[in-house]
Amino acid sequence: MHNPDFPGDTQSRYDRLVESYLATELRLVNSGLPSAQKSLSTLLAEPQPQISCADGTQQMIKRSELRYLSSLLDPADYDSLLLPMLIEMAGQHSEATVLCRTETELTLISAILEMHLQYERPGRFRIYKPQLALVRKKMPTTTQYVFSMPTANQEYDGALTKHREIGNN
Amino acid sequence: MAQLIKVRPTKIELVKLKRRLSLSSRIHKIMKDRLSILTMEFLQAARQTVTAKQHTIDAMNQAYKAMTIASGYHGYVALQKELSASQADITVTAGPRNVAGVRIPSLELNEPTGGLRGYNMAQTSSLVDSASDTAREALRAIIELAELQRGLELLGTEINRTKRIANALEYILIPNLKATIRFLAMKFEERDREEKARLKRVKVILARKEA
Repeated sequence: MHNPDFPGDTQSRYDRLVESYLATELRLVNSGLPSAQKSLSTLLAEPQPQISCADGTQQMIKRSELRYLSSLLDPADYDSLLLPMLIEMAGQHSEATVLCRTETELTLISAILEMHLQYERPGRFRIYKPQLALVRKKMPTTTQYVFSMPTANQEYDGALTKHREIGNN
Repeated sequence: MAQLIKVRPTKIELVKLKRRLSLSSRIHKIMKDRLSILTMEFLQAARQTVTAKQHTIDAMNQAYKAMTIASGYHGYVALQKELSASQADITVTAGPRNVAGVRIPSLELNEPTGGLRGYNMAQTSSLVDSASDTAREALRAIIELAELQRGLELLGTEINRTKRIANALEYILIPNLKATIRFLAMKFEERDREEKARLKRVKVILARKEA
């Protein structure tokens, strides 16, 4: 109820609305995240390959895409490739980070891009926007975006990198 | 022009506003990220749609041409009789795929296994085989085009919505929060200065009384 003595009351109700709206947006952005990843061999064995998403829905995986991925890999690597592959966006518009558990993801993306890639940190490597567009074109259903909030540490790292770049120039 | 948010001028409100500003800035970054991804996907889908449309037109042309040649060779009635037995239901696997929060339909034509065509290959020529192949190719192209066009529409709508949210954050919410924080900070500084002046005045009065 609106209290005229405290105009802040109405405002806070408005703010709560805005915040809940933004929270919904955040949930929506990451609604396609898989609840569990499946290996390439498991998906190839399924009659209709599907992945369960965090919001309870199912995401279809194209069989033609799985065939394409299997053509790029050794059959021994089918078990170690977990799909969908996660591509993290963390506030840097020009680049993305591919999250990987094994070497297979790196091998696969290197084969798709036809260039040598290497780990930036253990379990993740960086690709740039034009490369991301190519990866998404080849793997529209077997990759998934993850939007994460930059933490204070990451912001500090970014600022530090920028500072070093300015210093080098 | 940024507007001030009506809040009580207390330190707690200032802390709350600062927290809200930090959260809004982070959400703004995510929205910008999402917008750039959606735009990238939209442009890619637009390019693919143009190619797919051209491919569909070419495939349909070829299919009709091959069918005309085949019916010319075998005779329309004979061909129809032969092909009437080969009619089979087309099955398309459909399901959604999620692109940065947008659910886009994904379609895939199920290829028949075994390579059987459904008509007597001994009594027909290779022209019928060619017509069948081109027709299947045309069907594949139509399904691909349908998927791309629907995706394009959905991505376009979502880009508009995300752009509105990102702009609202960038030009209204964040500037208003910043302006209010600046106003409250100024108000507290002013209060401090007033307090200091008051204390000095009291000190002078007390000094006078003692004298």
